[in-house]
Amino acid sequence: MPVGPRPPDVSVAGFEGPLDLLLELVEEKKLDIFTVRLGELADDYLVRVRGMDRLPADEVSAFLYIASRLVLLKARSLLPSLTPASDDDEIDTEEELRLRLIEYATTKGRAEALGDRMRAGERAFHREGGTVDLPPKGGNPAALAAAWLKVLALTRRTEEEVEVPGERYSVEQRTAEIEALIAEQPAVTFATLLGDRPTLGYAIVTFIALLDLYRRLVVDITQDELFGEIRVERKVRRMEGLPE
Amino acid sequence: MTRSVSAAAVEAVLFVAEKPVSRGELAKTIGAGAKAVSEALAELEEWYRGTGLRLQHEGDDWQIVTAPEMAPYVASYLGADRLRLSSAALETLAVVAYRQPVTRAEVESIRGVNCDQTIYTLMSRRLIEELGRREAPGSPFEYGTTWEFLECFGLTSLDALPSALSPEGVRSDDAVTTE
Repeated sequence: MPVGPRPPDVSVAGFEGPLDLLLELVEEKKLDIFTVRLGELADDYLVRVRGMDRLPADEVSAFLYIASRLVLLKARSLLPSLTPASDDDEIDTEEELRLRLIEYATTKGRAEALGDRMRAGERAFHREGGTVDLPPKGGNPAALAAAWLKVLALTRRTEEEVEVPGERYSVEQRTAEIEALIAEQPAVTFATLLGDRPTLGYAIVTFIALLDLYRRLVVDITQDELFGEIRVERKVRRMEGLPE
Repeated sequence: MTRSVSAAAVEAVLFVAEKPVSRGELAKTIGAGAKAVSEALAELEEWYRGTGLRLQHEGDDWQIVTAPEMAPYVASYLGADRLRLSSAALETLAVVAYRQPVTRAEVESIRGVNCDQTIYTLMSRRLIEELGRREAPGSPFEYGTTWEFLECFGLTSLDALPSALSPEGVRSDDAVTTE
């Protein structure tokens, strides 16, 4: 659906279009839509069309199309000997136009009925939200179990390490270490940086150090897939020698 | 009057449903046949008469909605705005509602004017939607009314569209000229 500025609805002098104008003339003159000689309305129609100024081009053509039909009908009724030149379809001009007019009158009646309902404001409402929140369907229980086992393993590992006394790391220290390492090797994995049996504290400090290096544009960090290996690379376009 | 077990079951399911539920889904959910579900729905419709609720359906999809007579209270509670449409938009909506599925060219042929803007307005209000493309030259989109349309006009279904509006003796459906 295209979205953008669009021309406003065109409603000229109280009617919605060429058929509406024609219908209005029929009603004003209290004529029967089923029997009225439509050609007799040609003059009035033209007067009304002339009375409009500032119509968009495509609207004008729609009005002129109906006007030309009416004039043709009028001409034919004035000169009964006048036969349609070549186009057989033109015989049905009046009947076709009448059917369109009736169809339009029907539509207008329906629109008015809908409008009445709209203005009465008697509308229905459905219940919005309020249902129980359930986890999304289609998850993989095995993956969830595996993830949980990893968390458990990590916890257990750190518990073992708790007995190792007093080991403390500072982010600054780790940052310097990684920066030195990355100066020698263009790329390392996060796993390498963690070493064999990292404590939770060591992992966190290493991670924060990495984020800091990333922020300072010292390294690039890539990860090809979810939970995949995190690669830490020396930032290629880093300008050596600039003050940090 | 007491409700049958299936009517109660259908009511309970429709009560928690966030969107319309099909008759087939209801049958499967409550473990009853299609006929039992239809009877249950008819029973519920009867039961809701004169209450604040009623059943609304589009085709085979059913939902519990509030009774249109209670709209002022519900709207006030929800802080809902009143729907306002121009008469041009209402005309286009009338064509779509009564003649769906219908193409833009058909709407324009009936109204005799360009309907780009009104179709756009009605679509952005979610009163009509594109149903798909017609297998015809140019594959034009076909439009139809939405669930929201039924709600906004307080219609229990498309069968409840206001009728007896065509000039006497003419079946409007035969009187269409389309390109």
